[in-house]
Amino acid sequence: MKEKLKVALAQISCKRGDKTENIRKIERNVEIATKEGADLVVFPELSLTGYLLRDQIYELAETIPGQSTDILENLAKKTGTHIVFGMPELSSKTQATVYNTAVLIGPNGLIGKYRKMYLPTHSVFEEKRYFRPGYQTAAFETELGKIGLIICYDIFFPEVTRLTRLKGAQLIVCISASPTTRKAFFETLTTARAIENTAFMAYVNLVGIEDGLQFWGGSRLIGPNGKILVKTRYDEEDLAIGEVNYSDIRPIETFVPTLKDLRPELFDMLKDCAENL
Amino acid sequence: MELTPSALDLNWSEVKEKIRRFIKDYVEKSGAKGIVLGLSGGIDSSTTAALSALALDGDKVLGLLLPEQETHNAKDIKHAKLVAEKFGLNTQIIDITPTLGAFYDSIPIFETADKLCKGNIKARTRMIYVYYYANRLNLLVCGSSDKSEAMMGYFTKWGDIGADISPIMDLFKTQVRKLAQHIGVPKEILTKPASPALWPGQLAEEELGIKYETLDLILYGLEHFMHPDEIAKQLGLKTESVDKIKRRWHYAEHKRRIPLTAKIEYRTVGKDFRLPRTFC
Repeated sequence: MKEKLKVALAQISCKRGDKTENIRKIERNVEIATKEGADLVVFPELSLTGYLLRDQIYELAETIPGQSTDILENLAKKTGTHIVFGMPELSSKTQATVYNTAVLIGPNGLIGKYRKMYLPTHSVFEEKRYFRPGYQTAAFETELGKIGLIICYDIFFPEVTRLTRLKGAQLIVCISASPTTRKAFFETLTTARAIENTAFMAYVNLVGIEDGLQFWGGSRLIGPNGKILVKTRYDEEDLAIGEVNYSDIRPIETFVPTLKDLRPELFDMLKDCAENL
Repeated sequence: MELTPSALDLNWSEVKEKIRRFIKDYVEKSGAKGIVLGLSGGIDSSTTAALSALALDGDKVLGLLLPEQETHNAKDIKHAKLVAEKFGLNTQIIDITPTLGAFYDSIPIFETADKLCKGNIKARTRMIYVYYYANRLNLLVCGSSDKSEAMMGYFTKWGDIGADISPIMDLFKTQVRKLAQHIGVPKEILTKPASPALWPGQLAEEELGIKYETLDLILYGLEHFMHPDEIAKQLGLKTESVDKIKRRWHYAEHKRRIPLTAKIEYRTVGKDFRLPRTFC
């Protein structure tokens, strides 16, 4: 396993509904990032298709593995890099059951996927109308270390990141499609999740405008002490590369020992209280 | 939540930038050559015109001045021209009096004393002119309605509200004034009393029966799910006054939607036919 790795935050806008064009953009970014030494290139939530798809989701969703993951697996193989991107995933057991999924692929093919657990359905969001929620957190053993995946609104629920961290993830990737009205929340929560879990957090947000909704970008790689190691521009496409050095976790974990101090019995109480809200 | 004027404060540079990007993005994606809008010399259309010019460059923005005899006001024309000059827009002035006369004369049941019905013809006629230019010159129609008007239904259905985009419709009137000041809309326009100019002497605040400063705070409270009792208490008003505004806001919902149809088939336009806007 690598002790140090370079993570590229590929903050792109998507052409809504045009997978071919979006794959081209993913390819371009991966090629540039790889030339600059990136080991892992991260793209936003639903970056294969764009975010606001409404009923088009049923035409665009694909199984995993499927045509698009095959193309991107080849890209990972060709460039020798790892890639995280988002897509509407069609369940292989049904005909119209779709998940909002983050996919992790590496030079040897598909490593794993995470299905978004918390689907925002309020304000401008209507994800529960279209997606089935996932039921499992995800942390995958890779040659780049154990990588966890979460998606956007999941970050408002600390237990998702906590579970991902407790499964051993030291780098947690959060792909996102957050509109400008939510900027302050995400700027705070991404840092909070990194600190409380003493883990690296790679947050990559969408940019561009879809149906009047503006996405603010501001992607960032955050260290286990909450320090922003690298950050992309607001509101514009950008690509930034930062370094994860896993050995940084040890001194922070000893100084802020949140994992050592965990109180499992509180989780039972939390469960009881949440069931009776 | 405290209902003080500061509740309506926003970062005006950010707001300007968001609207600028919104206009630019929509015009580019649609493939249109620019924007056309009705330019009345009032604060809403002046601000919208200025923002359009900031988004696209003034030469891609056409302001139509559409005066008519009854409500003609030299000051309004002067103000519209002032904005056009400052932000470099193209303008065209068309007197719509003969068109309106032809409408009035050709409607067998036309009643000149019915100011509202007659005034609505004016707003809809202006919309027809603006859309003609849009179709002929491959432009998009930019609406100038603000959030106070949109929530209160203080507009003509298929008239002044008719547009392809309405960039300032998420800002209350008092917020539009602040944004206008921020982007440099000429001073004399900022302080001018608002009027839809549907009949002589028509003033928005008089007709609505409330000052925008108060109305906007009530609407802000309603937007944030506050109870009318609480809004009234904070603003020193009677609950009935707030209830009245709330009822008007709800009643006007039909003006903000596409026409209702009976649900019969599998997927229905305006109900569960849920598609994103797509451009060729």
